[in-house]
Amino acid sequence: MPYWPCRARAAKDAALMHRFANPARFLKIARPLTGWLFWSGLVLLLAGCACGLFLTPADYLQGQTVRILYIHVPTAWLGMAGWTGIAVSALMQLVWRHPLAAVAGRAIAAPGALFTAICLATGSIWGRPTWGTWWEWDGRMTSMLVLLFLYLGYIALANASARQGAGQGGVSNVTAIFGLVGAINIPIINRSVVWWNSLHQGPSITLRGSSIDMALLWPLGLTLLGFSLWFGAIVLMRMRAILAQNKVEARMQRLARG
Amino acid sequence: MHQWTFVIAAYAVTLLGTAAVSLISWRSMHRAEAQAETLANRP
Amino acid sequence: MKAKHQRLILALVALAALIGAGLLAASALKDEAAYFYAPGDVKAKGVEPGKAIRLGGMVVKGSLKRAADGVTMSFDVTDGKATVPATFSGIAPDLFKEGSGVVAEGSFDTKGTFIATNLLAKHDERYMPRELEGMSYNETTRELKVEK
Repeated sequence: MPYWPCRARAAKDAALMHRFANPARFLKIARPLTGWLFWSGLVLLLAGCACGLFLTPADYLQGQTVRILYIHVPTAWLGMAGWTGIAVSALMQLVWRHPLAAVAGRAIAAPGALFTAICLATGSIWGRPTWGTWWEWDGRMTSMLVLLFLYLGYIALANASARQGAGQGGVSNVTAIFGLVGAINIPIINRSVVWWNSLHQGPSITLRGSSIDMALLWPLGLTLLGFSLWFGAIVLMRMRAILAQNKVEARMQRLARG
Repeated sequence: MHQWTFVIAAYAVTLLGTAAVSLISWRSMHRAEAQAETLANRP
Repeated sequence: MKAKHQRLILALVALAALIGAGLLAASALKDEAAYFYAPGDVKAKGVEPGKAIRLGGMVVKGSLKRAADGVTMSFDVTDGKATVPATFSGIAPDLFKEGSGVVAEGSFDTKGTFIATNLLAKHDERYMPRELEGMSYNETTRELKVEK
């Protein structure tokens, strides 16, 4: 078997792949996008919060506490979407050796963990006046707490592998595998209120429609979009920080070698 | 009024967390990019 | 076969096995992970008196009676399959009312009455303004109808 053409083809493949993975090309898009995502997200989420606090009517059963919905739902969605993002970038890292995927996984972890923690905190604050308890070990709450611990484990692994210089500022393959394995928790969180008797109510928004009345629902669209855009901006900022640190480290090594 | 205490607490937690992560992420990005810039401009 | 394709197949097979294992474990946990017993479960499986459990269901309309001392109350809990009488003395959460969901912590006495030591209110997935109260809601079609 001819050795040389095979290698040439692999190099061509890699070159094609790296054209899309090229940090310089990525930064050209990421730099202007960061500000746009950040400010439009912030405006939308603040507008959504203001509408949810002052414009919508109180719930027939819960009264004013229903307003926690407008922050609790987006934070839950982004906590779960964050881990889905980590799993996708882990797959891209393990299969295609995509260099930006490893950086993206590490950048998603911190805002994902933050939103999972906020989701648990706002849920607890909501649970006290409505259910009569701060915390119960039901399926939904337990699986969401497991997600927070998964995030913390992932961050610890990612930081350890970055210190060892694995993957050029990204995460090690072990960390990526951990991200992929942890994804099993996402459908469990989603289905927990359907499979098991739980204190948490069933899903309000499904493919069949919404059981939240339109008069109460509309600010949720604003906060969902706003928090999501903001999340994207934070991920871009953290990716840019990691890429710049890589550049500094590479430069330092070159200078040290003289 | 009692219900509003819980609502305000939940919004305060969320906005504080969001602001803190915005600030930390922006500062680490800004610092790293500035450092990369000065190193790149050094002969 | 190229190494990239090998890795892709390996990752997908591992992922499929993992999801299968996870779903299997979750369905095996169905009973253990249940947060409460419904009256139907109690009737079907039986719960020995004195065993600390949680009982969850709807408070039957018209069954809530408060004793003269002001803190003791009795009510029936149903899940549509069976109905269980319950008593509680203490402060109930604001959302505890007839026709609404409840999760009671406590145990059965020998006569089959559930003696609750703590009450939690469970609400459903509907949210609507006060003006719409008095409308009925169809669970299957998700439509609101005016009762008048």
